[in-house]
Amino acid sequence: MSLKHIFEEHPERRYIMFGGKGGLGKTTFSAATAYWLAQQGKKVLVFSVDPQASLSDIFQKDIFGKGPVQIMENLWAQEIDADQHIKAYQNEIRQKILDMYGFDEVPEEIEQYIQAASAEPAMEESAIFDAVVDIVVQGDYDYYIYDLVPLGHALYYLSMAKVYDEWINKITKLREEMREYEEMVSRLKREKETEEDQILKELQYIRGRINASSQILTDKEKTGFFFVIIPEEMILVDTAKAAELFAKFDVPIMGYVVNRVVPRELLGQNIPSYLKNRIEMQDKYLKQIDETFGNQVASRVPELERDVTGLEMIKKLSEIMYGQKVGEKL
Amino acid sequence: MSEEEKKSFWQNMKEVLYGMASHDMSRYAVRTRASMEHLFILITMGDMIGVPILPPYYSLRLLPYVVPQIATWKRRLLREKDVSDAMF
Repeated sequence: MSLKHIFEEHPERRYIMFGGKGGLGKTTFSAATAYWLAQQGKKVLVFSVDPQASLSDIFQKDIFGKGPVQIMENLWAQEIDADQHIKAYQNEIRQKILDMYGFDEVPEEIEQYIQAASAEPAMEESAIFDAVVDIVVQGDYDYYIYDLVPLGHALYYLSMAKVYDEWINKITKLREEMREYEEMVSRLKREKETEEDQILKELQYIRGRINASSQILTDKEKTGFFFVIIPEEMILVDTAKAAELFAKFDVPIMGYVVNRVVPRELLGQNIPSYLKNRIEMQDKYLKQIDETFGNQVASRVPELERDVTGLEMIKKLSEIMYGQKVGEKL
Repeated sequence: MSEEEKKSFWQNMKEVLYGMASHDMSRYAVRTRASMEHLFILITMGDMIGVPILPPYYSLRLLPYVVPQIATWKRRLLREKDVSDAMF
């Protein structure tokens, strides 16, 4: 299966993610894939939530926290600034409190809570995924390429989404019971209807958001997840573990992309034993990769002569990734 | 008897009946409702008194609605218990 083939066969998979350990080329492949799709006439948004995002670097344009920035025809890139998102969110909450109760300023203990809550690590994850829901729900693009932060992050969020959901169910139930009591009192006192419970509404909204965000990661119809690997032992062991976990959370895995394969043509030349040894090592693991992942290996990408930055190099890489014919291997 | 006085007579009757029959029930219901409210705040805003319950991002969304209850809630949860609690 070639990458091109996979995309042609599954046009309904519009949320594309590249995941893997740090530094293996997730951003590079995201950019190259976005480039290729844009060239095919699709409207593409490639976005990243990593605070040390590298989309700015690869497109050689500062896009951090600036919303979707057009890179070329059909191609937009966006780097979400989680801090900025959290700050805006905090202000929204503060404003709501001020408006609801006509305060001049937020009461001190409430303010303290708002600040303490925002310092928690889970805050950033949630803020990020919330921002992602906003982007995807708008549905302005044909393809969303999600330059995923390292694996642990996504897994953590997926497991959190399950816990969240349980939690919301429980408090929604409690809230409904509370409402029953309230209605009983107003019946006894022969008062008119109780007003609508805003909190219950809010809880339902929250549940909707959480489900939407975990669905983006696990939707079998629309989501495709690629693992980026390199032919080295540690990476393979880790990826196998991660793949297992992902399968447990129903993340639909579309394939594996092998990066940094030393070009085999070099063997014909007079090369130092250092390189020869590396090729031998890679051969061993490439064989292992083929055995383990079989036809799920979507592409082998060679180690290029220079790093991939700027549209010129992205174009070159996308030609390598998507120019391969079915069954063709390096 | 004028129309207005008649009305207030029935009004009084109604209130007496309410007091005899259902005031206690509704008082009990209001109390239960208040306890539940406090339980609710505990499981959503537990962090405030050092009980980390769950996700802060979304509990912030609920915060505006419970602002007026926070002070009573804290007083109730953090107060020391004594014998008189059992009596009322």
